[in-house]
Amino acid sequence: MQLFPCPFCGPRDESEFHYGGHAGNARPDGAGMPAEGWAGYLYLRPNPKGTAREIWVHMNCGEFFVMERDTVSHTVLSVTTLGGEHAA
Amino acid sequence: MRDLAEKWSVTPDWDLAAITAPGLMVRALAGLDQVLVSGDLDAWANVSGLEGTGVGAFGAARGDRYTVRLARDRLLAVSGTPLTIAAGWHPEGFAVTPISAGLRAFEIEGTAVDAFIARGATLDPNQASPSAALSFAGINAIAYRHEDKLRIHVDRGLAAYLWTWMEQAAGHIAAGN
Repeated sequence: MQLFPCPFCGPRDESEFHYGGHAGNARPDGAGMPAEGWAGYLYLRPNPKGTAREIWVHMNCGEFFVMERDTVSHTVLSVTTLGGEHAA
Repeated sequence: MRDLAEKWSVTPDWDLAAITAPGLMVRALAGLDQVLVSGDLDAWANVSGLEGTGVGAFGAARGDRYTVRLARDRLLAVSGTPLTIAAGWHPEGFAVTPISAGLRAFEIEGTAVDAFIARGATLDPNQASPSAALSFAGINAIAYRHEDKLRIHVDRGLAAYLWTWMEQAAGHIAAGN
């Protein structure tokens, strides 16, 4: 079991959280977006060894946030609620 | 034709249901008025006169009327008597949703409450958490202390499951497992 820090609730069991994708993968805008752009948005994922920025949601309180963590050591480096004004 | 109802445990008569084990007593609470409040909780506090912060996980609520924090912008107001605040959107910046029929509340007391919590939750009951919304017995629940007892609210549809789980947990505690 690993503890993840919810920006609002504090440390909670990892089973209370759900992964929401890597941060910064914005949905393409506009009908003129080429197929490669859509393919990149839908299918291409970074798989960094080291620091990763990911979107997670704490399902019990509904808080969406960005978690920066190390994919090698599993150390959580930072959590920031989406919107930013309530950053932990 | 197969009777699929046999697959499910019979829902207890909540008025009479009780679980007793050495150091543990569980019963269902009836007649609580419960409303969800979403939005500006400071505005809610000003209008309602109730707490806008609310107790968090395993925090201690007191009295007949109190609030429990669920999320950054959401809380549950609980009262033993009907709350007079109107349901719906309030122009001060918050919404009130009656949920008395949606949540079933249980009260657990006795010297074995800490052992009971340890079986149901991974959260340290002595570590403060601003939100009382947590996973208990594998389901979403709202858990806090009221006076010297533990109260748990769950979706009404999951109440029979939680009751079965609590019966088994009480049995294991009684057996010293």
